[in-house]
Amino acid sequence: MVFSSLFFIFAFLPITVILYYLFGNHLKNIILLTASLFFYAWGEPVYVLLMCTSIMVNYCICILLGRGKASRRKRKFLLIISLAFNLGCLAYFKYFGMIMSTIGSIGNWNLNIGTPALPIGISFYTFQILSYVIDVYRGKIKSQKNLTLLSLYITMFPQLVAGPIVNYGDIELQLAHRKMTFKKFASGLRRFLCGLAKKVLLANNIGLLWSEVKAMQSIEISVLMSWLGIIAFTLQIYFDFSGYSDMAIGLGKMFGFRFKENFQYPYISQSISEFWRRWHISLGSWFKEYVYIPFGGNRVGKWKMIRNLFLVWFLTGLWHGASWNFVLWGLYFGTLILMEKLFLQKSMIRWPKAIRHIYLLMFVVIGWVFFEFSNLTDILNFLQIMFGVGDNPIIDSQAIIKLKTYICLYILCIIAASPWPKKLALLFKRIHFKIYRLAINLYYCLLMFLSTAYIVSSTYNPFIYFRF
Amino acid sequence: MRKNNKKNCSIIENIVSMLPILFILTMFILHLVMPNKTFSKEEQRYLAQWPDFYIEKVIDGSYETKVEAYFSDQFPFRNFWVHIQEDFNEIFHKVN
Repeated sequence: MVFSSLFFIFAFLPITVILYYLFGNHLKNIILLTASLFFYAWGEPVYVLLMCTSIMVNYCICILLGRGKASRRKRKFLLIISLAFNLGCLAYFKYFGMIMSTIGSIGNWNLNIGTPALPIGISFYTFQILSYVIDVYRGKIKSQKNLTLLSLYITMFPQLVAGPIVNYGDIELQLAHRKMTFKKFASGLRRFLCGLAKKVLLANNIGLLWSEVKAMQSIEISVLMSWLGIIAFTLQIYFDFSGYSDMAIGLGKMFGFRFKENFQYPYISQSISEFWRRWHISLGSWFKEYVYIPFGGNRVGKWKMIRNLFLVWFLTGLWHGASWNFVLWGLYFGTLILMEKLFLQKSMIRWPKAIRHIYLLMFVVIGWVFFEFSNLTDILNFLQIMFGVGDNPIIDSQAIIKLKTYICLYILCIIAASPWPKKLALLFKRIHFKIYRLAINLYYCLLMFLSTAYIVSSTYNPFIYFRF
Repeated sequence: MRKNNKKNCSIIENIVSMLPILFILTMFILHLVMPNKTFSKEEQRYLAQWPDFYIEKVIDGSYETKVEAYFSDQFPFRNFWVHIQEDFNEIFHKVN
């Protein structure tokens, strides 16, 4: 079930909200857990058992870890078992096919045995479980003795299938005690609609252009067309993913939870490092907390720091999908960040702001080429077109037509990706508070209305981030 | 008098802020109440109906897919929404 489907918005959501608020405080967690399990089982009727097994195994391990009597060796042993189990599941269900085909192509063997289908959201919930187990091992948090609450933390449907990755410590208290107020519900609802509109009105529509470009023969694509296409994808993936995060944060808030932000206007950054502090924040901080720092971070020697950096970026790339182009994409950003750390940062301060911004956008847009094409020939081919190497024309009439058709949408998307609308709203709020409140609520009604129209019109509408 | 005014204002505000969820609930109820259609003249095709329940179909996921198809095909005022979308699309994709 995706958030932008009619079944979710007009059946699952109202039923869950009614039951949740009807039965009051003492049943709220049971209802939310049941709804979440139903939500997951709806998309994965078989793999829901895998998730439940995973929760049970880690629940038991953490109970044992949490007991004061266990010796250090025993605790380490338990941690290793848990890591092996969780990473083993992830490796088997997500990377088995990739590993097999890589080994096969090295030795020229045919190893195409049946690969398992990817369980929805396994990358997200495995990372949440890992953060919980590791934090219990470190003694940072107490193990959760209540199985309902732990299961709720893992399976909560707002963040289950596409993040943000919530740290257990951040919502430990909220699981047992949280306040549900009218104001919070209304604000969560607005946030949900904001995300829905980003996904349905912006991402899906600008994405149409990219799928047209992608479907073209490479000789037909002009330089202008290639840039129009990849910029469309740049906008699409941002609105798709940040829209999903907004919906998750909003839904969480409607049920009384407060999740951390996952995106902070990434495309206004002025360096690659800044971009990654604003893009998918929860993933970046996960890798920092559980991979980069445990390996010594940057407090070890220079070479070890470089090793740690590349390890993190190799894994970040790999996390995004079971294909080598994602690894390449990760290492590409690793290299850029290393360059910034070693020498570029010092000289960048002197660059004009605009130049820094263009530099960032340039490299991010090029990065999306690695992200979107799964084999190296296609990647190089597309990059060649973009930079005018080869015989492709610079401008053709088709590209001009597309530019004219999509120009309004481009402008709208670029404005929506910047913090300006929010700044303007805040200004308006200071000038006339009452009218602002009314206007903003009416605006969200309009978004609801339009989003419904767009969803009804498109029956097939899957999320990009469902592959992960 | 002034206090009263303020109170009225916040009541209006609260109602407006709940309009989207009221809309969702209304559509959900309408969906349950309105009779199912079998054929769409505009699209020249038969619309999906509520699927029969078989446990095997639930396990292989086809039941869930069919329920979602039923839900979108039988959505209240489907044609109205499609028209709204078409009109709005024209604003964005004006071919000059």
